[in-house]
Amino acid sequence: MANLETFYYDNKIVRNFAIATIIWGIVGMLVGLIAAFQLIFPALNLGVAEITYGRIRPLHTNAAIFAFVGNGIYMGVYYSLQRLLKARMFSHFLSQFHFWGWQIIILSAALTLPLGITSAKEYAELEWPIDLAIAVVWIAFGINLMGTLIKRRENHLYVAIWFYIATWITITVLHVVNNLEIPVDLWKSYGVFAGVQDALIQWWYGHNAVAFFLTTPYLGLMYYFLPKAANRPVYSYKLSIIHFWALIFIYIWAGPHHLLYTSLPDWAQSLGTVFSIMLIAPSWGGMLNGLLTLRGAWDRVRQDHVLKFMVVAITAYGMATFEGPMLSIKSVNAISHYTDWTIGHVHIGTLGWNGFLTFGILYWLIPRLFQTSLYSPKAANAHFWIGTLGIIFYAIPLYWAGWVQSLMWKQFTPDGFLQYGNFLETVAQVVPMYAIRAIGGTLYLSGAILMAWNLFKTMKTGVFLADEKQEAPARLSTLGAHEGEHWHRWIERRPVQMLIFSAIAILIGGIVEIFPMAMIESNVPKIKSVQPYTPLELAGRDLYIREGCLGCHSQMIRPFRSETARYGEYSKSGEYIYDRPFLWGSKRTGPDIHRVGGKYPDSWHYNHMYDPLSMSPGSIMPAYPWLIRDKLDINQIPGKIKVLRTLGTPYPEGYEDEALADLEKQADGIAQQLKKDGIKDEKLAQREIVAMIAYLQRLGTDIKVKPATN
Amino acid sequence: MYKHILESAGNINWMAIGALITFFTVFVVSVILVFKKDSTYLKTMSEMPLDKVHSSTPNQANYEN
Repeated sequence: MANLETFYYDNKIVRNFAIATIIWGIVGMLVGLIAAFQLIFPALNLGVAEITYGRIRPLHTNAAIFAFVGNGIYMGVYYSLQRLLKARMFSHFLSQFHFWGWQIIILSAALTLPLGITSAKEYAELEWPIDLAIAVVWIAFGINLMGTLIKRRENHLYVAIWFYIATWITITVLHVVNNLEIPVDLWKSYGVFAGVQDALIQWWYGHNAVAFFLTTPYLGLMYYFLPKAANRPVYSYKLSIIHFWALIFIYIWAGPHHLLYTSLPDWAQSLGTVFSIMLIAPSWGGMLNGLLTLRGAWDRVRQDHVLKFMVVAITAYGMATFEGPMLSIKSVNAISHYTDWTIGHVHIGTLGWNGFLTFGILYWLIPRLFQTSLYSPKAANAHFWIGTLGIIFYAIPLYWAGWVQSLMWKQFTPDGFLQYGNFLETVAQVVPMYAIRAIGGTLYLSGAILMAWNLFKTMKTGVFLADEKQEAPARLSTLGAHEGEHWHRWIERRPVQMLIFSAIAILIGGIVEIFPMAMIESNVPKIKSVQPYTPLELAGRDLYIREGCLGCHSQMIRPFRSETARYGEYSKSGEYIYDRPFLWGSKRTGPDIHRVGGKYPDSWHYNHMYDPLSMSPGSIMPAYPWLIRDKLDINQIPGKIKVLRTLGTPYPEGYEDEALADLEKQADGIAQQLKKDGIKDEKLAQREIVAMIAYLQRLGTDIKVKPATN
Repeated sequence: MYKHILESAGNINWMAIGALITFFTVFVVSVILVFKKDSTYLKTMSEMPLDKVHSSTPNQANYEN
């Protein structure tokens, strides 16, 4: 046997990420809970723009995904990687840089999103300077990961590590492509893709953020921490090899299932559906491998709180990955899309799979790092039950709400009219379900707070082991050893090969879907009457983005009778060619507004924004008094026009110099109209509301059939 | 340039079919190869996290129920 080398695992970085996971987890859940309560009591925003639903919803999703789960991933990776490779992390500096860099990014998200600084891209709302910071910190993590792999003492790479490598390379590709954008100034940019192409790119990213940030790294963690907690090896290593390659190859294709029945070309929708259905096989491969690892140890699940959390996590993973493919079937999606069913589905994944696996790992890890036992196993068991009830109370009402919404939206009278023609009737029906959901969220958060208390008490009673001593023989040279050996062993020994093969697997799907979409113009038929936005409409559109209106309103009418009867002509891809970013939305807490232009007088919008209840009794939309009060910032307009022209919007050369005059002219016209309707404000033409009205009145009018004027 | 190449390709369904065939080929080959594996090697790999030989994790024994 070769000489044993002595080295030390870095537990400090693991502890830091663990603490960040606990704190950000609670913050993220709390923001989600505030948002949930605002859906029942809109006035809970206290009239403050920065804490209004549309702005804090992305804060909640970002905090849950990147702050809570993100730190959870790093905690688990830094712990397991060192042990699986028998090596300390490659660079102490990079570990520190990664930790502090990530926390600063989270803080900047917590500041910019409430301020309305957002690119409106789902799960990628942060503006370009933060996108760059994410890229730098992520690369630092990658160098640290690969560096540790290179200086390892263990020849073979355990399955968990393949998942880490695939995660790193895929997130790199997704983040870069999805955030290709040209800055207007420090806090505003426009993406290079527009309309339907942007929709495809954003959901290619959005779905794979779920796949490669919420799933693959967590599968890696499952493959390490579940055998550890159960004290037995993974059920089938063969299955893990097959399911790994199948999962990463198939997952990347599934994005278009978020865009079924939209104006995305049919071939792309079909690809999304087919691969989503196929996805059930590798997903359940992972789930079964996890659950079967516990064969013969199920008696321990009754007593061991760590295993309890892990079993529910893996079961939730199985449920979510069964439901996902079902929701990708077009006929099911026709019912589920835009409803709360989707929100219920995604929370089975995040609360069950990510949340419970994180809790299980934390309960296992913290006592070990602090060389003690858990302060209160009783409290951990209580947390398990409170959390499980929380998930049930969260998800079931939302499933119910989803079905109720969909059935009501699609119900016709025997005479052929919409039974519930007023959208508000459908809202009133689901508000009680939102209330029960908020109770579920409260339970789940209470459990997490109980865990935080338990774990911090554990830390206090124990003694932290910052550098953990370990001995292992140096790695033997493997040069030329692959002749005649098992093929996968050859890949497994070489992290760079693993990286390249993973990249090839994910790039095939990405290229086949995105290239034809981005390159072939015939995929987006042009409509002659569709013109670029006027400067005032553009300013209004950016206010719509700032306020996060797309969190509740879609701008995509599907070609169903129930939708065309309610909203008007179905949406065409050619209508969106100047939309950067696309704003189709995924949820109808309020009605679709793609054809709202010209539907109501300007004063209706003014009064509705000032007090939604005055125009729509029973509405749960918050009031936007600041739009009425605040002066529109027009300084960015020339810059925006220039950037949009660079990207291909046909504003004439030099139009940036005339844009402000055009803007003022259009604003004056709207202000006159409002004054005629009795609205008194000396500086009406300068207010933000005028830009918002201009945008809303423009929506869908390019191809809207004008009513007869006789 | 690329636009013209892709446009002249006309029907792009071959890309999707090609990808599907690639996937099934890789999948079937990997299944065959995985089942031809050496079982002692797989056993060693699957026991890697348990790290029984060199574990210096403190209080591990105390923690196990």
